[in-house]
Amino acid sequence: MKKSKWFSIFLVGLFGLFFMCPTSNAANTIKVGIVDTYTGPPSAYTLDVLDGFKMAVEKINAKGGVLGKKIEYTTRDEKFKPDIGLAMAKELVLKEKVDILMGTINSATALAVSDFAKKEKIPFFVTYSKSDKIVGEKGHRYVFNMNENTMMAGRAAGYVLGKKPYTKYWIAGDDYEYGHAIANNVWENIQKFNPKAIILGQTWWKVGEADFTPYITQILAAKPDFIIVATGGGSMVNFQKAAKATGLSQKIPFYQHTANELGTLLPQGKDAPEGVYGTANYLFYLPDTPANKAFAEEFKKSYNRYPKASALVGYMTAQFIAEGFKKAGKINNEALIKALEGLKLDSPVGPLSIRACDHQLELPTYFGVTKKDPKYDFLVSGDTQIISSKDYMPTCKEILQTRKK
Amino acid sequence: MGLSRTTILFIVSSGLSLILGVLRIPNIAHGSLYMIGAFMAFTISKVFGGGDTGFWLALVGAPLGVALVSLIAERGLFQYLYEREHLMLLLLTFAVSLIFGDLVKIVWGAEYKSVPVPQVFQGFVNLFGGLPFPLYNLFLLIIGPIVAVALWLIVNKTKIGKISRAATVDREMVGAVGINVSWVFAIVFVIGCLLAGLGGALVAPTVSVTLGMDHTLIIEAFLIVIIGGLGNIWGALLGALIFGLTQSLGILIWSQFGIVFPYAAVIVVLLFRPTGLLKSTW
Repeated sequence: MKKSKWFSIFLVGLFGLFFMCPTSNAANTIKVGIVDTYTGPPSAYTLDVLDGFKMAVEKINAKGGVLGKKIEYTTRDEKFKPDIGLAMAKELVLKEKVDILMGTINSATALAVSDFAKKEKIPFFVTYSKSDKIVGEKGHRYVFNMNENTMMAGRAAGYVLGKKPYTKYWIAGDDYEYGHAIANNVWENIQKFNPKAIILGQTWWKVGEADFTPYITQILAAKPDFIIVATGGGSMVNFQKAAKATGLSQKIPFYQHTANELGTLLPQGKDAPEGVYGTANYLFYLPDTPANKAFAEEFKKSYNRYPKASALVGYMTAQFIAEGFKKAGKINNEALIKALEGLKLDSPVGPLSIRACDHQLELPTYFGVTKKDPKYDFLVSGDTQIISSKDYMPTCKEILQTRKK
Repeated sequence: MGLSRTTILFIVSSGLSLILGVLRIPNIAHGSLYMIGAFMAFTISKVFGGGDTGFWLALVGAPLGVALVSLIAERGLFQYLYEREHLMLLLLTFAVSLIFGDLVKIVWGAEYKSVPVPQVFQGFVNLFGGLPFPLYNLFLLIIGPIVAVALWLIVNKTKIGKISRAATVDREMVGAVGINVSWVFAIVFVIGCLLAGLGGALVAPTVSVTLGMDHTLIIEAFLIVIIGGLGNIWGALLGALIFGLTQSLGILIWSQFGIVFPYAAVIVVLLFRPTGLLKSTW
């Protein structure tokens, strides 16, 4: 009895020592802490962010790093839970002493971490959550958004759809913030370009709905000209399958954000419905430039799959961190932020820059329609039209107004 | 219209109900087995070229594969737990469901998967008023009753069914007359899980096969078992019908609140019949 007691005291002491040890040679590296969801369905996207980031970091480090320092990163799995995600971000900053925070596909986590980053004055790069509040209403000096947000996606789609001759619209989607935000933004922009457009009705189903047939039946009965379908994640594929099975895709045209993106089309193989309108912020086969081809091929060689939009986000985040520090000329967060504002870098899809006023990466949008391509065993985006960011991004004035509220 | 979803819900929850009734295990991992069934269906269908043969083989192979997994789980873990408290079992099966979830991610990865609808069932028929009804859903409507009748025959007409029914009433007595209760339980458990696998294989062509598809289903399956009466197979059928139909009728009548209807129905049933609609075996 006594022996075991002493033994446990010894063990506790040992653990204590272990934790007190300084964690690493912090001085010689730039530490990036990544909080993201690596379990469950979101990991289909987040792993691409991570691998894209990894690929860029390896390249940067092989060339001698940034100002003589290597980039080092640690990941934490927040399991799509904002409270856990925030605790992990705190742990990364306070214990691991990371210089930079990055991550998360979960908008609620991103907003919570963003708030913390603001207090701690740590730059936070948002990689795949799409809430427009991140750099809009809740934006601040220390947060950067590296992918499109719901306002951008919605407006880009509205920019094209508003010029099409449809008038009777139906709105349907996943009943959560992302769904409503996409739908509202598409609709507002359609109205701007096409004042005759009206909404016949709306349908909102619960997130993760498995059977869309009854909803589609209801929509078909109303005979709209066009349907705005605001689905996300797994519902993208589920809705497309249901649209094909019920013949909806042949009867009424519809739009989904990311309908023409690899993440939605790859899993369905040749069976995805043709003629679905979609917007994507990266396609590995478009633009057909040497830079894009090289990026896609390198990614495929390293990870044995084609890069999705999230891979580009991860890749460019690493590039901006490295080049930002280089431009600043020193490893200092305030200098990094100043250097990043307005910084323009070459990317696989051409030059991209971070807007100074709101820290949003200015990504182009690819509006296209799903179609078969003999080169691939899945559908691709056809008749793709590239919409430049200046055509659809909310202006600096608009953003700063939302922040004042 | 919601009848096709009802079929899936019935098949999965009848398995859950069987396990609950006979073994008294509230098996939260049942949903994971359904997910594994869908993933296995994906693999089998892909190995055989993604065509019609692949689909039919998947329909047979995936439930059998799930049955094998469940047999290992039962012999290796569950058989030692039958005497534990319910709360303990709930936690244990929850832990198992998390393990299964991670195993699926390790084996199949995080990407969304999709199983093609077989050639024969592609397209749709026009029902009254020109509303399209997918052919595959029609096929599901035929499978549902077949499973119900087969299950009824197993439970009521076979020796193993009779023993298992006796075991629900008094398992010590069954053991006392010299029957190896442990193996009877194993067989019942495997049959229940086989149904989960079948549900997974059947649902695969209509949805994207993804991690997390177990969570939504398991909650609905438990609700169905509860409103139908614990351990009662016809109760599971009735429960699934109520659940599926209130949902689709709800959508047609008042679409914005369509998702509330099935849960409202559950509350109404539980207010007036706290033990479920049909006689519970507990």
